[in-house]
Amino acid sequence: MIDQFERLPGIGPRTAQRLALHLLRQPEDQIRAFAEALLAARSQVGQCQTCFHLSAEPLCDICRDGTRCDELLCVVADSRDLLALERTREYKGRYHVLGGLISPMDGIGPDMLQIPSLIQRVDRDGISEVILALTPSVEGDTTSLYLARLLKPFTQVSRIAYGLPVGSELEYADEVTLTRALEGRRAMQ
Amino acid sequence: MTENRLLVIGPNGIGKSNLLEAVELLGSLRSHRASSDQDLIHWEEQRALLRAIADDTEKLELELRRQGGRQARRNGKTLTRQLDLIGPLRCVGFSALDLNLVRGEPALRRQWLDRVVQQLEPIYSDLISRFNKLLRQRSQLWRQWRHIPIHERDSLLDAFDVQMALVSTRIHRRRSRALARLEPLAARWQETLSKHKERLRLDYQPGSQLEGEEEEEPWRLAIETQLLGQRSEEERLGSCRIGPHRDEVRLLLNDSEARRFGSAGQQRTVVLALKLAELELVGELCGEPPLLLLDDVLAELDPGRQLLLLEAVGEKHQCLVSATHLEGFQDEWQQRSQIIEAGSLNRSEEVR
Ligand SMILES: [Zn+2]
Repeated sequence: MIDQFERLPGIGPRTAQRLALHLLRQPEDQIRAFAEALLAARSQVGQCQTCFHLSAEPLCDICRDGTRCDELLCVVADSRDLLALERTREYKGRYHVLGGLISPMDGIGPDMLQIPSLIQRVDRDGISEVILALTPSVEGDTTSLYLARLLKPFTQVSRIAYGLPVGSELEYADEVTLTRALEGRRAMQ
Repeated sequence: MTENRLLVIGPNGIGKSNLLEAVELLGSLRSHRASSDQDLIHWEEQRALLRAIADDTEKLELELRRQGGRQARRNGKTLTRQLDLIGPLRCVGFSALDLNLVRGEPALRRQWLDRVVQQLEPIYSDLISRFNKLLRQRSQLWRQWRHIPIHERDSLLDAFDVQMALVSTRIHRRRSRALARLEPLAARWQETLSKHKERLRLDYQPGSQLEGEEEEEPWRLAIETQLLGQRSEEERLGSCRIGPHRDEVRLLLNDSEARRFGSAGQQRTVVLALKLAELELVGELCGEPPLLLLDDVLAELDPGRQLLLLEAVGEKHQCLVSATHLEGFQDEWQQRSQIIEAGSLNRSEEVR
């Protein structure tokens, strides 16, 4: 059981041990409920057919929400990024979850991500602005630049440096990463 | 260290270089010997801890872990950016390996230059690692995706071009600026060391064509164009032909290349001149003379050069020196030095 916990992201050996010991002290029915919840989540939760966010229904809560703005589409790498953006409560448009970032080293090409569906959606749904919210890593910037070029014929593309450390680090990140170049002539026009 | 100079004397394999390497790691986050932290951790252990007290007040700690990478602490506080460890223990290292600086491949000169720039501007190491990542991703793209549609591959290459042009520009600018500052200092040392016989020039040959004045925008756009222009050649040869990974620093002695035409003695002098220039520049720009690490090299120098080095270092720089025997040292070096016999250095002894 400790091994199982250690495989989870962000869990070290000590935490794994603590969690295992904690569970062993719980009554059996509670453990059963926990195990069933895990299995149920795995078998029931799939992807939203429109935005590819995790969802138990064919359409996720966000896609079903009639009060959100249909013309604004925010592109994120995965559901975790989507949830982080939702927590800010600032954004009121729709989302599109790519399912990763382009990375030749990891064998991840554009065709393995939800990019064709993104183009289709932008073309079909009359999106007026796409906001790329990808981390400013090499992979994030590569994906942003690639998408910007693909989407430009269809819509306006902008970019927020989501995932950047806030405050004093911004200037530093700008020096190392590409924020400025991405805003420059060739990239996002 | 109670004196300005600390001599660590002992037979090979006793751990002298380890001590110096530990200081180098704490001071610069880099080791000139090990390429991976895994090599620095005792094979039976999960972690290694380096700790130093600098200026009597700054407590610096760097923990190397088999899993989870490094953790840096300053005065007990974990640092979110490891780079913030750099400062109190700035150092310039000089080891026997450095002779390759003149003789060896261009990559060694780039690494030397990068170490200098990084001392001046810690952010620089992020630029370098970002550029290396871009290179690796780009070469994987060629290797794996020969079969994907051409327009798709070209769009991806465009995306890499934009990023590489910007990062390349920033690396070229920093390297060329650092060399411009190092050159007069190195030339002056070469002149002194050769008794006015040799003129040293550091000739920067960037791996991209940098036209016109040193300015970010025109350089960046020029590199973008060059990257686009070399694609078919890149496809054929499998590696990117443009960028700082193809930089060379030619070391010219009286206008001929020291690498090819210099004698062994001349080459040694050039290394010394470069290192002294580095020491001077880092000291000048950081407002404090860096610590000089001399790993097993001093005794290799003839008495004349030893003396010059001593004069150059003067009373300004603290020195950590390792050697197998005391005999090789000039009396001037031994005087007012703290001497540790490494054989007697037991685990609990504190070297402060
Ligand atoms: Zn959805």
